[in-house]
Amino acid sequence: MEMIGKQKIIKEHKILDSYSHDNSFTLPMQPRLVVQPRNADDVQKIVTWANRTKTPLVPVSSGEPHFHGDTVPSVPEAVIIDLRRMDKIIRIDRRNRMVLIEPGVTYAQLQPALAEEGLRLSTPLLPRQSKSVIASLLEREPTLVPKYNHTLLEPLRCLEIVWGNGEILRTGDAGGYYPTLEQQWEMGLAQVFSGGPGQVDYYRLVSGAQGSIGIVTWASVKCEVLPKVHRFFFIPADNLKGLVECAYRLLKVRLGDEFLVLNSASLAAILSRDADGIQALKNKLPPWVIIMGIAGRDLFPEEKVDFQEKDTRDIVHQFGLELLPAVSGIGGGQVMSTILNPSPVTYWKLTYKGACQDIFFMSTLDKISEFVNTVFAAANALRYPVSDIGIYLQPQHQGTACHCEFNLPYNSGNKIESDHVRELLDTCSEALIEQGAYFSRPYGIWADMVYNRDAGNKEMIKTIKGIFDPNNILNPGKLCF
Amino acid sequence: MALSRDAYRALEDIVGPGYISEDPAVMDSYAYQWLAETVRPNQSKFMPRPEAALLPGSTKEVQAIVRTCNKYKIKVKPYSTGWYFYGAPLTEGVIQLDMRRMDRILEIDEKNMFAVIEPYAIAGVLQAEVMKRGLNCTVTGAGASCSTLVGATCYHGSGGTSIYTGELRENLLGAEWVMPNGEILRTGSIGSGCGWFCAEGPGPSMRGIVRGALGARGGLGVYTKCAVKLSPWPGPVEFPVEGTAPAYRSPLPGNFRAYTLAFKDWDSLFEAYYRLYDNEIGYYAHRQWTMLGADLGPAFWMLYQDPTKSLDDIEEFVQKQEVKEFTEEMRRSFQLVLVGMSQRDIEYQDKVLERILEETGGWKVKKWLEPEMEQFALLYLLRLGKKNLNFVYTGGWVGNFMQVGTPDFVKKYRPLAEDATREYQEKGLLVDCGSDSMMGCVGSISGGGNCGLEQFGFYDVADKVSTAAAVEWMKHCIQEEAMHNIPPGKEGMYLAVGKTHEELQQDLAKQPATHTWQRKIKQALDPNDLGDRMYPTLDER
Repeated sequence: MEMIGKQKIIKEHKILDSYSHDNSFTLPMQPRLVVQPRNADDVQKIVTWANRTKTPLVPVSSGEPHFHGDTVPSVPEAVIIDLRRMDKIIRIDRRNRMVLIEPGVTYAQLQPALAEEGLRLSTPLLPRQSKSVIASLLEREPTLVPKYNHTLLEPLRCLEIVWGNGEILRTGDAGGYYPTLEQQWEMGLAQVFSGGPGQVDYYRLVSGAQGSIGIVTWASVKCEVLPKVHRFFFIPADNLKGLVECAYRLLKVRLGDEFLVLNSASLAAILSRDADGIQALKNKLPPWVIIMGIAGRDLFPEEKVDFQEKDTRDIVHQFGLELLPAVSGIGGGQVMSTILNPSPVTYWKLTYKGACQDIFFMSTLDKISEFVNTVFAAANALRYPVSDIGIYLQPQHQGTACHCEFNLPYNSGNKIESDHVRELLDTCSEALIEQGAYFSRPYGIWADMVYNRDAGNKEMIKTIKGIFDPNNILNPGKLCF
Repeated sequence: MALSRDAYRALEDIVGPGYISEDPAVMDSYAYQWLAETVRPNQSKFMPRPEAALLPGSTKEVQAIVRTCNKYKIKVKPYSTGWYFYGAPLTEGVIQLDMRRMDRILEIDEKNMFAVIEPYAIAGVLQAEVMKRGLNCTVTGAGASCSTLVGATCYHGSGGTSIYTGELRENLLGAEWVMPNGEILRTGSIGSGCGWFCAEGPGPSMRGIVRGALGARGGLGVYTKCAVKLSPWPGPVEFPVEGTAPAYRSPLPGNFRAYTLAFKDWDSLFEAYYRLYDNEIGYYAHRQWTMLGADLGPAFWMLYQDPTKSLDDIEEFVQKQEVKEFTEEMRRSFQLVLVGMSQRDIEYQDKVLERILEETGGWKVKKWLEPEMEQFALLYLLRLGKKNLNFVYTGGWVGNFMQVGTPDFVKKYRPLAEDATREYQEKGLLVDCGSDSMMGCVGSISGGGNCGLEQFGFYDVADKVSTAAAVEWMKHCIQEEAMHNIPPGKEGMYLAVGKTHEELQQDLAKQPATHTWQRKIKQALDPNDLGDRMYPTLDER
């Protein structure tokens, strides 16, 4: 342990216990200790020590609560490498609209700092207060503005990675001709280009990896111009199919900024602060709604929002639907101020029943109705209340793909309810995969389901893991190794 | 070194006797390559002759060929539509896979905006088909006759519309890859049997191995299918074409505009790039017309409109007062096509552009506002079907300096590129068309933020002195770049083809990590070293 040097090391049982489980059904496993590095040099030393001593490391960047089991050790004697002390915003570059951050930086911390420079970041839907920006982007959580999803990994660009074997690589144009960030800045570069260096997109190898290939010690992230005018609208509908057709038309011409589809249970959970409020509101809300933000950012912002609102309304009418500034007494402003900010301290998915399991995957919008039918049928069969199921659809990659998420709130203190949800999770996941749902982020039980159907990628991932983390130091037991 | 008869028969059994050849005349047609004279002994126009050429018709055949090559330890190099000389064999003892039979558009998913294509589906055909469905694809700088799959998987993949329609690196969704070890990898959602819509995952994204900033240029296996993301096209289902050859033009509806925007100085021009990024306007944004030189290009574009004129008339054109004024008016310029998704949209974009021009002191070049000139520009720029014009002066050209970066970075090498070119033009070793013959994307990636400038030099391929000067110019540019702490541009990639192994190793050692990781990846995927140095690796020490 002397190789870890002066870093903060935690061995208290109570704290170790907090890392041993999360809100998923992942089996608990207590780590041996927790180490909190301050910089990349510390991280490299820890990884080198772990290789020498064959100690498993589990990287963690966000604070509690965790939901996917990826931060819970899968093997005994693991050391948690908690990156939350690395929370510096290294550089904000207004001209190139880039920000460089460490892994401990949260959305709650970053957005106000960006706003001071006239910038903001497209976020996931109400990230929790403690959510690391880098962890969210590396895990390819969907963000709210499809038109800025130039790739699925956007707005993530360049990284500094400590690989599992302890070597460091900077990716994208940060890994090019100029060896230091300072030299790059001096030459006018800003870590904008994510590709390479060379003929490998290294940043993709650590994405979706649950910390099992490399540890990212900083990342550059592309920002948006902070809107000067920003309005939110609703397109309500009784059924999903008609709404999807309208969504396709709007996405095709890249109208608007924020663009997401929620069912009543999901919107109620987002807007209400207690269980009774959620119950009351979801009964008032339309079954489905597109939420659309339209932003005017730089020149003539008011005119931009005006013409886009008119264009949107014209299209929406063609589908027999309406573009509304409010639904069921809920105004666009209220939704805007809610979804453009991190969740309240009690994470929004936990408000209704205290616990929540999610099923999420990717598909295309036209197939979502079939998946909804599958989940509802399974819920009915297990007597889980269908009306409690929150559904969130997030078009991604400029409308080419769609994140589909089912939220299953439950009372974790009630064993019967908990067992039903666990069974529902298993049953639905298998059925959805059979039906063609793409579980692109295979956490927990999904890993075996996914990789047993995709031997090619499984073998390739194992090959790559063998190159970058030959001793299987990083988060062993997850994914397929 | 002919193939053994056993190996030849094994390969013939896979594709059938009609799709394999080792006829020397046929082999020479593969070896004859543009730019070969800049790197081959005695300025030969031939790269090494392949031992045989095969035309596979399916992924299954490609896989069988690669497995046979592993068995007999034969190097294999795929080639589709070609660009530069990268697709040719770089050494003796290589078989060439000619992918022209795999030319299908397999699927166009109109709603979800992607197309699934084979290696020889060219951008022009893909564009024509997707436009019927209100969609468009990125046509790379290599033009409409080049393979879209290659842009997405094997090379760079940027084009004039990349600011809106994306770089093909960004647009690549699923890919089917016959790796050099003979295994097939299908990346993203298609690997899980869920369709072609997603490039990433499951879990760590093996899409990252498929390609990086650059593809493997045929040096690491064969890509047999891929899906690319498409973008909206609010125009007619096909280009309306009017005019007389060669200056065809396309009168597009009122929601289209084509401008040549000019500026009093370079700082203002690059400032306009930043303003376009922040305001998110522009469907096509590229510096195009100046590729034929700031002094000579405007005259060329004017004479091109007159079917009675030829290149022989260019000196007469240059002397015209109207042309002189035109030349000065557009000396520091780029092209911008605005496309409104609605009438309101185009009106808004026009208003924003006016304000940007006010802020930056820019103007719209008048000649290019004339309806016929604008219509010519729309067809040329959006279709990019006239890449032959790159060769129009002398039959040969190279592009130096090109690299991507922020406008603030690119403007640093702009004056170097001019200075490093001027003396070669003044000596008559390159075409004296103006020391600024720089072209390149205003936004080389989706949404902008990065751009590039590539300095064109035109040399006479029939003249050994001019060809030698082109090579000397490339080396001179690399020296100038090094002196000013600028990395070598495209010329470094060209010249690498002709370097010895030792020389190349010295270059690769300047970025050891990149090329060491590539070696480890190659060792894992290509154990019998079937590929070539187009996927460069640093030797183990």
